[in-house]
Amino acid sequence: MSDWVEWAKENCNVTKAKDKPEALDDVLVLDLSYGNFAGLFSSSLLAEFGAEVIRIEPPGGDIARKMTPFGLKIKDTGLAYIVEGRNKFHITLNIESEEGREIFKEMAEKADVVIETFKPGYMDSLGIGYRQLSKLNPKLIYTAIYSFGQFGRKAASKMPDYDVINQAMGGITWTTGIPEEYEEYPEHTRVPTRMGPWMGWYVGGGFAAFGIMVALFWRTISGKGQFIDVSEAEAMAKVQNYYIQYYHTFRDTINRVANFDPAVYPYTLAKVKEGMAFIAGFSDVNWKALCTVLGREDLIDQYPTIKERLNPENWPKALKELETVTANMTTEELIQATLEYEGEGTAVAGELLTPEESFNVENWWLRGALMKVRDPYYGELAVQGIAPKHEKTPGRIKWLCKPVGEDNEAIYKKYLGYGKSKLEELKNKGVI
Amino acid sequence: MDRDSEKHDVERLPYTEYVRKMMNPEKIFSKPEPLKGIRVVEIGTLVLGPMLPTYLAEFGAEVIKVELPGIGDTMRSLTPFAKFYKNLALGFEASNNSKYHISINLKTPEGKELMYKLVRKADVLVENFRPGTTDKWGLGYRQLSEINPRLVYISMSGFGQWGPFTVRPSYDAVAQATSGLMEATGFKEAMPLKVGDWIGDYYGALIGAFAVMVGLYYRQKSGKGQYIDLSQAENLVRNMDWTWLYVHLTGKNRERTGNRDVAVVPSDIVRVKDGYVAIAAFREDEFRGLCEAMHRHDLYERYADIEERQKPENQEEIYAAMHEWAKNKTVSEIEEIAGKHGFAAAKVMSAKDQYEDEHWNERKAVWKYEDMVWGELAEVAPVPKLSESPGRIKWTARPLGFDNEYVFVKLLGMSIDELKELYRKGIIGKYTKEIPRTCPPDDWDRKSGLFFPEVRVDE
Repeated sequence: MSDWVEWAKENCNVTKAKDKPEALDDVLVLDLSYGNFAGLFSSSLLAEFGAEVIRIEPPGGDIARKMTPFGLKIKDTGLAYIVEGRNKFHITLNIESEEGREIFKEMAEKADVVIETFKPGYMDSLGIGYRQLSKLNPKLIYTAIYSFGQFGRKAASKMPDYDVINQAMGGITWTTGIPEEYEEYPEHTRVPTRMGPWMGWYVGGGFAAFGIMVALFWRTISGKGQFIDVSEAEAMAKVQNYYIQYYHTFRDTINRVANFDPAVYPYTLAKVKEGMAFIAGFSDVNWKALCTVLGREDLIDQYPTIKERLNPENWPKALKELETVTANMTTEELIQATLEYEGEGTAVAGELLTPEESFNVENWWLRGALMKVRDPYYGELAVQGIAPKHEKTPGRIKWLCKPVGEDNEAIYKKYLGYGKSKLEELKNKGVI
Repeated sequence: MDRDSEKHDVERLPYTEYVRKMMNPEKIFSKPEPLKGIRVVEIGTLVLGPMLPTYLAEFGAEVIKVELPGIGDTMRSLTPFAKFYKNLALGFEASNNSKYHISINLKTPEGKELMYKLVRKADVLVENFRPGTTDKWGLGYRQLSEINPRLVYISMSGFGQWGPFTVRPSYDAVAQATSGLMEATGFKEAMPLKVGDWIGDYYGALIGAFAVMVGLYYRQKSGKGQYIDLSQAENLVRNMDWTWLYVHLTGKNRERTGNRDVAVVPSDIVRVKDGYVAIAAFREDEFRGLCEAMHRHDLYERYADIEERQKPENQEEIYAAMHEWAKNKTVSEIEEIAGKHGFAAAKVMSAKDQYEDEHWNERKAVWKYEDMVWGELAEVAPVPKLSESPGRIKWTARPLGFDNEYVFVKLLGMSIDELKELYRKGIIGKYTKEIPRTCPPDDWDRKSGLFFPEVRVDE
């Protein structure tokens, strides 16, 4: 075990990534996302693993730069955008101008991946959608992200795409929150509740990045590009447990259950000395383990099988019993007790951290889940790092973000050979 | 119609029609599978491990799911309110489609030998035991990469393979609690909320699948396999948008704000007469549309500027106005008004709403099909919809050891006698009626869904 830990630490440390190769360094991505963090996150994932991502913003910049808590910005750019600007080049281009479209076509001919989040048909109507670009570049992987997807009766609805919309349609909001009948909580809080962070965008972006990788892989075999249609609402539904299956089978819906779980008990928050903590001990053997850890062996036979433990009427009752013990323990003591248990099965306890507390968890910093990055434009900042840790081709953050149009000169030179005077001309015409 | 005129026809179709024709949900099985030829061996339990290969299976990977004999994957017992569908747990169904199910006792030397044989022929290995467990068993990356250097090996865990938290056991909710997700979800004046599904698992598995694809892509170029360490808690940390930068800059906590978004203003969920509706209007024209719909042009006058809207006291005023305006309307009224005025509004949908929604069904977003073993089923369809090599669901989760014969005979060339011997010694296992949740339906005809006849030790 310790030997293995040493190996893993030596070989899977993203904070020491820089001397290793990058898996996607032969991939060129054009990201036209506008006001949409699903698109931005999908290109972030590719950029973390070495893809050259060129963000194409309209000359006024992406409105996503303004999506920031309480208007907080650094040098005109919002916090959320800075987080997802990582390793990307930033150019501007007015694709609504004739010349801008021609420039975009030339870029798309050289690109491997295009990502866009406009309303369905917008790019097509400009003559730069998949229908047109795939003729210029049959190897192109064109990814379109939108709440309703790119076909079906609502695809042409023109409804704007927002995180909360995706969460609401995705089903996850329906099942998250305090039930109506929990009267000890204020009425306005007993409602379907969205996840705090923009998971309705992030999950959609994750599926887009996965789809792009599948398509890139298949292209190495078939030589063919393709079109990828991602609905973030469907993406949310895909991570929504067995709820579609349950409706299909029993013609019934799973509704809000606060912090309980319809299929697993106990698997919930419980009172501890300083507030709340998570406890779990499901399946018969793990239930025994939890009861034993808490010195409440009497409960084992009171709720012997999942039949008793998955009866919603028993949930608050059994929790109250468990809380007679947990309420007198600190989270730390509870975790320690579960770790020290050596019998059969596993009891699990976990601490409930606020974002501020989580920010100070040493484990994240050691492993590069959180990182400090000194960025030439935005200064030394702390952001989330790289989630998957690859041994041979680790992901990395090279820079955080760039101002609007910062790379115009370099990128237009590199791909189209434009010099300063040409750029000046395009700028005067409002193309860049 | 000849090809040219058909092409010409496509040129002139309205955009969404053109896309529908290209994607055609009814023709998915006539198109190639992008991961055909990729063989994945899974030794996972619950959701985090098993769901990863499911995403790959949907795109054509041949996934061999290895369970321990006896009760098999713990997930076989996870079903809401203990309601099984013909012995099938719905939680198990939802995280295991289109795989081959075999059962090996990995703790025996012969069982390990079988694993080595499989791994020699595999491209990917997925596991989610506690860190160090597979290494201890001789099935870790260090051992398996010796016998197959092209192997992409991913370990899924709560907190990763090294670091102070490595020893902690973890579930989805532990990841949610530790990452800060729970404390960022819900109302400040109520309590922190666990998300209504195992988002850390299903979504962690997705990013694991992405990570494996990165590994496979690199292998195409380099010939080399590699190891990947993925922590589901860290994956949730990654997806906390502006949280960390906010804490870093302000030194303040990110408080729970219920359904209100403090960055995208306005974006909220309102209670209406017959349900709940999400509403958002960030762009100036959308916000103007919302204010006009609410007959509150004064709000637009004052808060057309995004920064003005984002100020805490102004947010308060705008959100209060939205709730007041919406409370006596219906879901469909609001959706219609939103369409007319150009802002976003959508019903908070249940699984029933999704299942019945015409738009979702036109897209085949809910995959309704007839399973060989279980009959009529429905799953959420593969999500990224690929035009040339689309994903598909072939069958759902299968009984324990259901594909032993197929895998061991076809892949490893074993004889029926050898199999009988392995069954007798308990090296490989199969469903037994003592544990119903490992079994096919009680009325199963003993052949539907099998790719190779079952060997029965007693016959």
